[in-house]
Amino acid sequence: MSLPDFTLIAPQLIVLVTALIIPALYFLTKNDKVVGLVSISGVLLSGAYLAWMIIDGVSGDFLSVYAVDDFSLLLTGLFLTVVFLVLLSSLNTVERDHHHGEYYALLLTATSGMMFVACAQDLIGLFVGLELTSMSSYALVAFRKNDPRAAEAATKYLVIGGLSTAMTLYGFSLLYGMTQSTMFVDIAAAIGSAPTAGLMISMALIIAGLGFKVTTVPFHMWAPDVYEGAVTPISTFLAVGSKKMGFVALFKVFLVGFIAAQATVVTDMQYIFAALAAITMTLGNVVALSQTNIKRMLAYSSIAQAGYLLIVLAVATPYALTGGILHMITHVFMKGGAFIIVAALAYVAVGERIDDYKGLARRAPLVAFSMSIFLFSLAGVPPLAGFVSKFVLFSSGVGEPGAALSGEWVWLIFLAVINSAISLYYYARVVKYMYVDEGETSERIKVPVPFMIAILICLVAVIGIGLFPEPLISLCESAAAALMN
Amino acid sequence: MIPIEMFLGLSAILFAVGAFGVLTKKNGLVVLMCIEMMLNAANINLVAFSAFFNDVVGQIFVIMTITVAAAEVAVGIAILLNLYKTSGTTDLEDINLLRW
Repeated sequence: MSLPDFTLIAPQLIVLVTALIIPALYFLTKNDKVVGLVSISGVLLSGAYLAWMIIDGVSGDFLSVYAVDDFSLLLTGLFLTVVFLVLLSSLNTVERDHHHGEYYALLLTATSGMMFVACAQDLIGLFVGLELTSMSSYALVAFRKNDPRAAEAATKYLVIGGLSTAMTLYGFSLLYGMTQSTMFVDIAAAIGSAPTAGLMISMALIIAGLGFKVTTVPFHMWAPDVYEGAVTPISTFLAVGSKKMGFVALFKVFLVGFIAAQATVVTDMQYIFAALAAITMTLGNVVALSQTNIKRMLAYSSIAQAGYLLIVLAVATPYALTGGILHMITHVFMKGGAFIIVAALAYVAVGERIDDYKGLARRAPLVAFSMSIFLFSLAGVPPLAGFVSKFVLFSSGVGEPGAALSGEWVWLIFLAVINSAISLYYYARVVKYMYVDEGETSERIKVPVPFMIAILICLVAVIGIGLFPEPLISLCESAAAALMN
Repeated sequence: MIPIEMFLGLSAILFAVGAFGVLTKKNGLVVLMCIEMMLNAANINLVAFSAFFNDVVGQIFVIMTITVAAAEVAVGIAILLNLYKTSGTTDLEDINLLRW
């Protein structure tokens, strides 16, 4: 028996090895900037290798647990981008804390878990990846351990995360019993054919378990608490990284089977996802209206965005999947950018209440401009990235391009559009505070360079994807095709 | 040979007891124990199916989940210990700094 081809999972291995080096390095140097920069270079190295894999068109199969194809490569790249932005915004945020070695190491192990989820092609690989990320995130939320709010947020996250793990695992065990296999290919075939009662129970448990991860209403209650209690870069990481991982898992377990069955019948489960999508986006947007803390507002808006992404599982066509992947990518830049600005402003002693943002345009013009772009993009204002991805995602509900229109999901898309309009209200309120209202001081704010780099990357991405979406859309199309395969 | 329904029934009962405990108990440590019980219910399922199908994959899955559960308890107890240090309690109903 020969050794498997480890070069296929080299991006993950590079991140993991960096994560193992970091604590030792911190022990030797006791310098937070050194470990931060080493983490960033590890991520960049992994990204460079990944870029080479994408250009070279590498694909293959690692021990039949992990598969490398267009889908996993694109999503791995997405998670690396997330952690890169989070690391940039961490450099200054945690400089006055202790235990930097653990912080960066846990961040990197969490990322490698996400990257493994992106590649997983069976339940065992998926479960281990999910748990690697979850456990690292519990510890990361508790990072400021003397802060009672962080301790409380971590406890809530731990209990709810543990419950969701247990439900997912029980669902997986029943799924294994019903299909005699842990491979997604066989599971998709079973879901595609007439589902038995046992299969329905296992699917319900998995939906509930993964629903916690992607903050589906009614499993969303932990998210605002945890995002508020955690250090802001970690909130960014959870909102844009960990949630995407949950969606990747849902896509892998359910979507392939749904689309296979689509030719003959719309499965009942799709209606469940449609109902979840409708409740999630509506509740997220309505509750966000009344928030006074900007991190909680962004948390509820991120619940609403999860509702939009659930449309993919309801509509279940390759075109919807393309839109879903595209929206996950643009969401990283717009929501990530907004969270990074919150982190940057918290660092320069602007508060986390929305009132504290009054008059920001005079104090920090570029930051205020970027924040407005991100918020408008989240609301879906053209010509920004959020408009493009929402357009592709929502239009998938009325049929494939070029095919006959279908009336099945029009109500859901209608609701999604109404919700986008509602969301514009609370996004625009922040913009009004920044540009129109007078603040208490008009003293200039100087945002540190690493934050500025992260913000500018997001800004360029949001505007660039909005103006020239075609290359990215074709990448997403090939990724969707690879997942369907 | 014991029929597989027995094992599935046992695991379903364990899972239900664990879920009931998570939802009703106030002490964080007890809640953590209940979560472990739910994870072990899944393990019983996996081993039972594995023996039933004569397929080794289920047992591999169980080894993975036992490892994961052990790691989860390690992280979980550290977090609860930290909660006790900052707020002087492990009672989940007493922590209410974050509310909407």
